[in-house]
Amino acid sequence: MPDFSLSAEQESLRDLARKFARTEMAPHAAECDRTPRFPEEIYRKAYDLGLMNLNVPAEYGGSGLGVLDQCLIVEELAHACGGMTTSVIANCLALEPILLGGSPEQKDRFLKPFCAEYQLASFCLTEPSGGSDAGGLQTRARREGDHYVLDGEKCFITNAPHASLYTVFATVDPNLRTKGITAFVVPRAAAGLTTGKDEEKMGHRASSTSTVRFEGVNVPVEDRLGEEGGGFSIAMRTLDQTRTPIGALATGIAQAALDHAAAYSLKRQTFGKPISEHQAIQIKLANMAQAVHAARLLTWHAAWTIDHGAKGTLESSIAKCFASDAALHVADEAIQTFGGYGYMKEYPVEKLLRDAKLTQIYEGANEIQRTVIARELLRQYA
Amino acid sequence: MTGPLLIVGEPQNGHLSGPTLEAITVAQTLGGGSAALVGFLAGSKARAIGVEFGRFGVPRIAVATDPALDSTPVAAVASSVAAAAEQAGADMILVGGTTFGRDLVGRLAIRWNAAVATGVTEARRDGAVVHVRRPIFGGRATETRRLEGPHFALALRPHAFAAPSEAAVSPAVAEVPMIPIPPALLAPRRTATETTAQGTGPSLGDASIVVSGGRGVRAAENFQIVEELAAALGAAVGASRAVTDAGWRPSSFQVGQTGRSVSPQLYIAVGISGAIQHLVGMLSSRVIVAINSDAGAPIFRVADYGIVGDLFQIVPALTAETRRVRAA
Amino acid sequence: MEIVVCIKPVPEAETRLRVAPGGQTLDAEGVKFVLAGYDESALEQALLLKESVPGSKVHAVSYGPAPRTEEVLRAAIALGADLATWVEATAGSASDPILAAVALAGAIAAVPHDLVLCGKQAGDDEAGLVPSALGELLSVPDFGSVADLRWDPASSRFKFLRSTEAGGERWEAPTPCVIGLQQAWNDPRTAKLPSILKSRRALIAKRPLEPGAGGPHSEPEKFELPPPRTGARMIEYKTPEEAAQKLVRILREEAKVFP
Repeated sequence: MPDFSLSAEQESLRDLARKFARTEMAPHAAECDRTPRFPEEIYRKAYDLGLMNLNVPAEYGGSGLGVLDQCLIVEELAHACGGMTTSVIANCLALEPILLGGSPEQKDRFLKPFCAEYQLASFCLTEPSGGSDAGGLQTRARREGDHYVLDGEKCFITNAPHASLYTVFATVDPNLRTKGITAFVVPRAAAGLTTGKDEEKMGHRASSTSTVRFEGVNVPVEDRLGEEGGGFSIAMRTLDQTRTPIGALATGIAQAALDHAAAYSLKRQTFGKPISEHQAIQIKLANMAQAVHAARLLTWHAAWTIDHGAKGTLESSIAKCFASDAALHVADEAIQTFGGYGYMKEYPVEKLLRDAKLTQIYEGANEIQRTVIARELLRQYA
Repeated sequence: MTGPLLIVGEPQNGHLSGPTLEAITVAQTLGGGSAALVGFLAGSKARAIGVEFGRFGVPRIAVATDPALDSTPVAAVASSVAAAAEQAGADMILVGGTTFGRDLVGRLAIRWNAAVATGVTEARRDGAVVHVRRPIFGGRATETRRLEGPHFALALRPHAFAAPSEAAVSPAVAEVPMIPIPPALLAPRRTATETTAQGTGPSLGDASIVVSGGRGVRAAENFQIVEELAAALGAAVGASRAVTDAGWRPSSFQVGQTGRSVSPQLYIAVGISGAIQHLVGMLSSRVIVAINSDAGAPIFRVADYGIVGDLFQIVPALTAETRRVRAA
Repeated sequence: MEIVVCIKPVPEAETRLRVAPGGQTLDAEGVKFVLAGYDESALEQALLLKESVPGSKVHAVSYGPAPRTEEVLRAAIALGADLATWVEATAGSASDPILAAVALAGAIAAVPHDLVLCGKQAGDDEAGLVPSALGELLSVPDFGSVADLRWDPASSRFKFLRSTEAGGERWEAPTPCVIGLQQAWNDPRTAKLPSILKSRRALIAKRPLEPGAGGPHSEPEKFELPPPRTGARMIEYKTPEEAAQKLVRILREEAKVFP
């Protein structure tokens, strides 16, 4: 029989994340969304408490947590602010290629100093020519003796303006498509690497997003992760690891929306009684609760599957796809529950819809998730 | 069937303190009459102050006049209290639940082998059992505890009881034998005594009393009448969103849905209409008082007590009355 | 300096209070028990003292039932306590503060203790009896309601403010003593994730409660919640002064919330 209870250790991790989220993140969420502002002081505090670099093993200075433990933390942080959470966990995304594709020497050389102090890293895959079509990326990596020269442009890169380290996917031969893609680790100081201006986004506005341009950037061969042409596999396996925590992020947003709507419905009175006593609202809340509950359990199950050694592609795609769709719908219904007040920026629910939307798009757009789900599913029937 | 009751007195400004008088009130009820009551005082002024017990019909007092007890920790007094109780044949000790009283009762639990309780708001005796009621969880709940004797010591919650009835007698005085104070209790030294200066008030999160001002205050410079009331009560200061949005006070003052949540014992809402965004931040306060010029303001639906009126007159009057009562 | 900190697991502040079946106690079903309030400040004070006096150790001690008591001790270790001792109680008996003091005293007497730090009172029963009872049991001076606790290495004495109704008294006391901390004027630290993970593997010493321990009995008989609100009682008055007097009297005598 599966045991759905959390261990005391997991409860402690979740409590730590919840306390941080409620006391340090939540009070500033609205202001960072409105201005917008990248709250470095909050990210520093997250680092100090060990809430960053969650996936990096302790021997390299990270927290060394499995996927389920990460999900417990990510959901709590996202409950306070989806945007801040995106920036906090962006390190996990950026460092995972090193964990999966790096040699022991590279892991030592890159991860130890990185994790020893507060730093941000960026995962550079998406380009103007394609996000879902990662196989068709255009950034070139030309081998010249003991180094590669990178040319190209990445876009919508989280934390890029503030990062000190970039894991970059470039192709040695665009004609080879996925088989030419190669992974590199590039420090900010590399000549020719520039970041663009902060994009003005619909949501996740406490997170910083920009282009990263590579103009003749020299990358030593020692900084290539794995073999030439092995980059696509590293990227895909990275996303296999990070997809499930995005489900947790979406679940956190959805839970926050449900919390606001339910609490409001008990206090707001119309037609002589609290709106929670109107059936229209009860049905809404019930549907929202089902969606949140399901999102969380799908996420936990996917995480558990991966923690037990399976690839978990089907489970994690289902979790990410379902949870992000749920977050959007639940946030939408939360605004509707608030009525006219929900439409006002003074109230916290409209932000949740704007933040939820991104979860359907990034880390593998839900259209792609569905094709992956179909592919994995049909494999079982072949 | 039940033995005499020993009331431990605490001096304040040369007289029996208010909490001591309240202990006499409880003793008068529990003791079934004044005859069984014995007052107790310690220190060089024990006799001089002890005679005040007589104003309330307490016929006997026990005094421990060792001047050293003027400056020892409460722990040293406990021995004398226990000795006085033995001497009087008392089976129950009552004391006002001040810092002194509470510390004393903990000592007596061990030294006098007594069943004890603090913060008591009601006490009832049932033969060899005493039932006490006391607030718990910051006043959000009340418990009744059952105490089994044969000895009992209760520290009573201050301001929970009325003044005792008066009946002037001249109490008989018994000297409690001097008890050598252990060296360990002579080592600590009191170096100074301070009276309360209202510096920075408690923070919104910790405070047991919060006074909040709202739009009704009308202007930034008027907000200080809210702060003066808070200072008089030893309370934290809060504000509604309207106040912080208008910049009259920083957003850290804001109580409400997008601000702080508080659940103090007492919440006084001044010029706050009671819109839901504010209510959700303070609705779990134990007692809510609302002062507003609008009789139809939603806050009156959730408050326990309400005053409809001009806050610019009511609040200063409340501040003055608070100061008067607290100084007494 | 050897610092013992007495901590108690209490329901977290946001707990919705419910009456247990039988009406005697809080319904603990689903309630989360944590280190909080004055106890949390006391532990923080102990850790600050440890950091300021080289070679010091902090030993957390708690009396209570499984699993909540072990959890708060682990929380203390995650925050920086060096040692932890648990005196296990059966579920009901943990509600007698004097029995708790006896249990704690047994554990404390067995270890070095220059300072025994407690929170002034627990966040649930708010009895405030443990510091003074401990003082009597350990035969050392005790001070409840302490604020601004400092260690003066020059005189090897603690210096602190003992809060009283009138204001306060400044005291100094040598080791050993028991302090019930009211205000630490510190900001309790948050345990970092690696410390939390490490605390799971820490060894917690367990001590049995001596049989027949504790004397006269005190136990909860009834647990009541206040009735739900029904709308304000409006105060009638002719002058603002009258309104003020009426309100203050009500707050003092009826509502019993006047300071």
